[in-house]
Amino acid sequence: MITVTIDARSVQVEPGQTLLTAARQLGLEIPTLCHHEKCTPSTSCQVCLVKLTGNGTSRLVPSCATIAEDGMVVESQTAEVFDARRTALELLFSDHVGDCLSPCHRICPLQLNIPRMLREVEAGRIEEATKTVREAIPLAGITGWLCSAPCEQGCRRGTHDQPAAIREVERFLAEREAADEKAVPSRRHPASGRAVAVIGTGPAGLATAHALLHAGHRVTLVDRHPEAGGSLRGEVGEGRLPSRVLRAELDRLERLGARFKLAVELGQDLTIDGLLRGFAAVVLALGEGGKAQASALGLLLQPTGVKTNAETGLTNLARVFATGSIVKPLRQVVRALADGKNVGHAVNRFLAGQVIQRIPKPFSSLMGKLAPDEVRQFMIGPNPAPRVTPGTGPQPGFSRDEARTESSRCLHCDCRSAGDCDLQRYAEIYGVDPGRFRGERRPFEQYLEHGEIIFEPGKCILCGICVQLAEQAREPLGLSFVGRGFDVRIGVPFSREIDEGLQRVGRECVEACPTGALVFKDEFERQMLGFSATGRCGRP
Amino acid sequence: MRLGSTAPAPTSTEVDLGFVQQAVQRAGRRPEAVIPILQELQEHYGFLPVEALRRVCDQTEIEPAAITGVATFYDMFRHQPAGRHIIRVCRGTACHVTGADRVEEALRLHLGIPAGSDTDPNREFTVEPVACLGCCTLAPVVKIEEHTFGHAKPEKASGIVREFRERRVAGAGDERTTEAIETAAAAAVEIHVGLGSCCMAKGSDELFHALRDSARMAGTGIRVKRVGCVGMCHRTPLVEVAQHGKSSAFYAGLTPSNAQAIVRRHFQPAGLRQRLAGLWNRTLDNLLLDNTADPVRECALDMNAPAPRAFLSRQVHLATEHFGSLDPLDLDEYLAQDGFHALRQCLEAENPARIIDTIEQSGLRGRGGAGFPSGRKWRVVSGQPGDTKYIICNGDEGDPGAFMDRMLLESFPYRIIEGMAIAALAIGAREGVFYIRHEYPLAVRRVQTALAEMEQRGWLGDTLLGHARPLRLRIMEGAGAFVCGEETALIASLEGRRGMPRLRPPFPAQAGLWGRPTLINNVETLALVPWILRHGPEAFAALGTEGSKGTKVFALAGSVQRGGLIEVPMGTTIREIVDEIGGGVAPGRQLKAVQIGGPSGGCVPAHLADTRVDYDSLRAVGAIMGSGGLVVLDDTACMVDIARYFLRFTQDQSCGKCTFCRIGTKRMLDILDRLCVGRGRRQDINELERLAVSVTQGSLCGLGKTAPNPVLTTLRYYRDEYEAHIAGRCPARKCQALVKYRINDRCTGCTICAQRCPVDAIPMTPYARHTIDLDRCTRCDTCRQVCPYEAVEVE
Repeated sequence: MITVTIDARSVQVEPGQTLLTAARQLGLEIPTLCHHEKCTPSTSCQVCLVKLTGNGTSRLVPSCATIAEDGMVVESQTAEVFDARRTALELLFSDHVGDCLSPCHRICPLQLNIPRMLREVEAGRIEEATKTVREAIPLAGITGWLCSAPCEQGCRRGTHDQPAAIREVERFLAEREAADEKAVPSRRHPASGRAVAVIGTGPAGLATAHALLHAGHRVTLVDRHPEAGGSLRGEVGEGRLPSRVLRAELDRLERLGARFKLAVELGQDLTIDGLLRGFAAVVLALGEGGKAQASALGLLLQPTGVKTNAETGLTNLARVFATGSIVKPLRQVVRALADGKNVGHAVNRFLAGQVIQRIPKPFSSLMGKLAPDEVRQFMIGPNPAPRVTPGTGPQPGFSRDEARTESSRCLHCDCRSAGDCDLQRYAEIYGVDPGRFRGERRPFEQYLEHGEIIFEPGKCILCGICVQLAEQAREPLGLSFVGRGFDVRIGVPFSREIDEGLQRVGRECVEACPTGALVFKDEFERQMLGFSATGRCGRP
Repeated sequence: MRLGSTAPAPTSTEVDLGFVQQAVQRAGRRPEAVIPILQELQEHYGFLPVEALRRVCDQTEIEPAAITGVATFYDMFRHQPAGRHIIRVCRGTACHVTGADRVEEALRLHLGIPAGSDTDPNREFTVEPVACLGCCTLAPVVKIEEHTFGHAKPEKASGIVREFRERRVAGAGDERTTEAIETAAAAAVEIHVGLGSCCMAKGSDELFHALRDSARMAGTGIRVKRVGCVGMCHRTPLVEVAQHGKSSAFYAGLTPSNAQAIVRRHFQPAGLRQRLAGLWNRTLDNLLLDNTADPVRECALDMNAPAPRAFLSRQVHLATEHFGSLDPLDLDEYLAQDGFHALRQCLEAENPARIIDTIEQSGLRGRGGAGFPSGRKWRVVSGQPGDTKYIICNGDEGDPGAFMDRMLLESFPYRIIEGMAIAALAIGAREGVFYIRHEYPLAVRRVQTALAEMEQRGWLGDTLLGHARPLRLRIMEGAGAFVCGEETALIASLEGRRGMPRLRPPFPAQAGLWGRPTLINNVETLALVPWILRHGPEAFAALGTEGSKGTKVFALAGSVQRGGLIEVPMGTTIREIVDEIGGGVAPGRQLKAVQIGGPSGGCVPAHLADTRVDYDSLRAVGAIMGSGGLVVLDDTACMVDIARYFLRFTQDQSCGKCTFCRIGTKRMLDILDRLCVGRGRRQDINELERLAVSVTQGSLCGLGKTAPNPVLTTLRYYRDEYEAHIAGRCPARKCQALVKYRINDRCTGCTICAQRCPVDAIPMTPYARHTIDLDRCTRCDTCRQVCPYEAVEVE
C-alpha cells in the first residue's frame, strides 16, 4: 500500500492509484471535468489541480493523473489551489459560447426561470408553469399587471422580430390560478415556531412576508392604514391594478398564515422594543414616506433612506431589518418585490443561525450580443409567427391558446444542460467571474438539424471523453480533435454529421459530456416540453 | 449544416488517387505510418484531398478519426490547394525585429491576395509564414521555392517577385546536388566552400558548382571541397583556399562570376602552353571588361585581422570540432580525424556502466533546454527492466532564431551517429530514430546519406562497426509542430498520433516509445559525447562553470555586427559574446537586451550583460539556456512587441490540450495585442502578470510552463514600457498603431516617397513639401527609407 498525506491527513491507496482516488477516499471533493472512469486521463481541463509539497517540490499537478507515491504530501484545499482551479474555470468560460441562463432570466429581478415557464406553457403543463412562477414571484398576480418587464428588453427574440410577450404569459398564469377555486397555497417548509413582525404592507413588506411564511415562520403584518397594500393601493386608485387582484394576493397570504394588524401605528401603538420582545425579528417596510418615522425610532439614516447593511438588510438596531423604498426609493414594483424577497431570505438565514445574506445571483456564462447570423441559428425550431396580441375576450389578456402560441416563440437561448452541467456547478462553487478574461468571442454554432444529437461546439471544453469513448467502441467514423492550439475543435472525420460519428456510443457520450456541448434532442424535449415528438427542432 | 472539420476540396474526378497506393506501399499500413503517408500525399498533391484521406483509411489500419486528427494538427499539411509557388516569409526573431511583418504585408499587397486568404486569385503564389528559415543574418528573409531573398524590404516586394520569375526562366531544370558521397584524392590546392543551408541561402552552392566547373577546366591538382558550416554567417559564402606549405587564404562574399578568377589566382597549370593561354585569357578579360578594381581581392579576408580574430578567439570547438574543414559526408575523412574511435573503444570494452560513469563525471547536461544531467538520464534508462529500449535523437529544433541542431546535423552527421551509437550501447538500445524537422531538408538528406553509407559498409544494422551488436537507426521527419520538441509529444508523433504531450511521470526513460524505456537526447548533447569519451570526462569538466560544464553552441543574431554560429565555454558572459565575438551593436545604437532561449527564454537587459551564460545564472535572471538562440536587441526594439512576438509564436504552437496553455496564452496575447494598439487598460498589466504566473503553474508541459517567460522577464525589467503603451506611447516607436509618420520641412518635393508609397497615402506635389494622409498610411516605413533628405519623421 502507498501512503500519502493530503491536507495533513494520511491515506493509503493501492499502488498505481491516483491522487484523485486518494483524495476522494478521504471524502475530499476535487472538481474534475475531463476525467472519466472509462478513459485514460486526458489532463486537459486542469481543474483538478492539487499542490505537491515536501521533498523540496512545490508545484501544481493534475490529481486525476498523478500516481500516488509513498510519502507524497499534497494540498488540495488551499487558497492557492482554489485560485488555480478558479483561473482554469475562468479561462474555460472566456471561450465558452453560450449562456447558462437566458438573458430574460438573468435580468428578472425576481429570477423567474422564464424559458422554463414558456416551455411548460407551450407543452400545456399549466400547473407546472404556475408553480415555476409562484416559486420565483411573491405576488404573481400583481406582476402580471404592474411589472415593467425588463425581461422583454433582454429577450433575444427581440433582435429577430419582437420579444416574447413574457409578462402577458405570466399574467395569463396568475389570472387562471386566481380563477381556480381549488388552488390552495401551501407552505414550502414546516413551521419553525419563530415569529417575525413586518411593518408596512406595500410590495416590499408583502414580499418579505411571503418569503418568511414559506420558510415556516409566523408573520404578523402591521400597517397604520385600515387597508393593506401600501403603495399598491395607489396603483388600484390609478386604475393600473384591478382591486380584485390585490385582494386575491392578500387573501393568499392570509391563507398561508399571515396575520394582518391594520390601523396600528409604530411609535404610537407599538414600540420597537415591544415588538422585539414578542418577535424574533422586525422588518421595517414603511415605504419612502417612512423615513422620518424610522429616524424617530432611533434608526440611522443616510441620504437615500434608512441605513442598512447592503448584504444583510440589517439596520443599526439588532434584529431590525429594513426593505423597500424606506432604504432606497424604488420606482418599479418588481424591484420592491425583489428587495422584499431578498430581505425575507436574509431574515430567514438570520433565524436559522446562518450567515446572513441575500439570495445569491445564480451563476451564468455570458455570451453577450448576438450577430444576426447567430440569431438565425436560434430561429431553427421556434415558431416564426409574430408576437401575439391578446384578443378581446371576456377575460383580459391571453387565452390559453394564445399563451401557448406566444410561448412557442421562445428561442430557448438558455442552455439545455443548465442545472445538469459540471462546468456550471463548479463555477458556482468556486465563485467564477465568467467575464474576467476578455477576448473575441467565437460565433455561436449549434448543429441540430440532423439526427438525434444536438452539438454545440462553443460549449465544448475539449475534454476528449467522447473521442475516447468512440475510439474504444470502434466507431466506424468516430470523433476527432480537429486543428491545433486555440483552434482545436471536436469534429467528425470527412466533414460528416455528429450522428454519423457516434453510431454506437451516442448515448454514452451525451451522458458523459461534462457540459451542454452534446445533448439528446428527444431527451431534452421530453424533459422540457413533456413530449418527445421530433417536431420541435424539425419544425420548418 | 456540416461540421467544418476539413475544408471543402475538389471532387474525386479531379484527384488521381492512384498515388495513394504507392504511398501506402512505401510507408506501410500500420497506424503509425500515418504521418509519412500524409507527408507523401502533401508532397504529391500539394494538399490533402479528402478523397485521398478516405482512400488511405480503406487501404490501411489507419482510422478516419486518427487521420483527421493528425492531418489537422501539423503545420505542413494543407487542406486546400496552394498556388503554384509558395512564398515563405520567415518569422524568426531576427526577421521580426527587422520588419518581416511589413515585408509580408507588402508582398500580399503586391500580389493582390485578399484578406483571409493566403493565395492570389490567379493561384500563382501562396504566401506562408514560416517559423524560422535559419538565415538570421540575412534578415528579413523571403524564400520562394528554392530561391532565398535576403534583406527583403517592403519596397522590394515587387522586385523580389520579378526576380524570382526571371531566375526561374533562366535556371529552369538546373539542379545539381551537393549531397553526393565522394572521396577525392588529396590535391595540391583545396578550395573549401561552406555548404550549410544558411550559406546556401546566400548562394554558396552556386559558387561551389561554379568553382568546380572552373577547377575542372583548369585541370587536375585542384579540389573543390564541400565543408560544413563555418560559423561566420555574417561573411558567407566563405571560401578557404588551402595549399600545402602555405597558410590558407580566405574569401568572403564571392559570387559565381568570381570562380574563374579564384582558381586562376591560386593555381598555376603545369604546362607552359596552358599557362600562356591563361595569361592571354586574363589580359583579354582585362581589356574587354576594363575592370581596374579586382573584385576577388576585395573579397579577400584576413583571418588575422582584429574582427575575425575577435570572432574566433573565444570559441572552443567540441560539438563543432573541425568546423569548416570536414566534408560532412566523407566517412573516411571523419575516421581520419579520430571519428568512431570512441565508439570502437566502447564496443571493445563492453562496459556500458563505464560509459555512463564517464558521461556522469563529465557533468554533461542536456543541451535541448532544460539542462537535465545526461548521465543520470542514461542511468535511469539503463536501469529499466526489459530488452527493448529505444534511443531518439531530438532534432525537432523549432525555436525561432535557433539553428544549432540543424547546423550540427548538416555538418557532422557521422558525429551525431557516433554519439547516438555510444548512448545506445550504454543503455542497451538496439533501435533508434533521428527525429528531424521536415523544414530541414538538407539535414535530413545528409543524415540519410550518412546512414546509408554506414549501412553499406556494414557498420550499422545487424552489426555495429563490424561488432556483433545490432543497431538500427532511421529518420522520422517532423511534420511541423514546435511542441513535438517536447519528449512525450515527440513520442506521440512517432507513434502516428497528434503531437500532444502527456503528464510526466512516467518519464520516457521509464515508459517512452511504444511504452518502452526510451532515451531522448538533443542533437548537440549527442554531438558532445564522442569528444567526452575520447578526451575524458575531466577535460570536459575543466571547461565551464561549477554547475554547467563544457561548451554551448549559440546562434548569435539580431542587432549585432557579426552574427553567426559560435561555440563558447559555459560561463562566458553575455557581454563577451555580444561585444567581443559579435562586435557589438551597430554604430550609434545602444545595446538594450539579449533574448536568450527563444520563446521559452527571457530578455536579459543590458545592465545585466555581465551575467554568465550557464544554466543557473540565466535562470536567476529569469531567462533560460534554451536550445541556444541568442538574439541581440538594440534600442530600436520595443520590449512589449518582443514579448508579444514570442507569445504569438508559442500561442500558435500550443497543442491545444490543456486549458492554461490553450486559452491562457491566447488571453495573454489578447492583452498584449490591446497594449500594442493603444487599447490597453490600467489593470491589464497586473492581469497579464497574474495570468502569466497561472499559465506557468497550471500548464501541463514545458511549452506552456515556459511560454510566459518572455512576458515575465520584460515585465520585470521593462515595466515602464508597458505603462507607456497604456498611455498610448511606444517608446521605441515600433508599434504601428501608436506611431505617426510626418514629413518635415527638409522635404524638397522630390516625389520619391509619393511614387513608392504602396497605398497612395502621399499625394504627389512636385517641388512642394509633401504630406501624409494618416488614415491611409499603413506605417510600412517605405517613405522614410526611400527619402534622400531625412524628411520623414516617426513620432
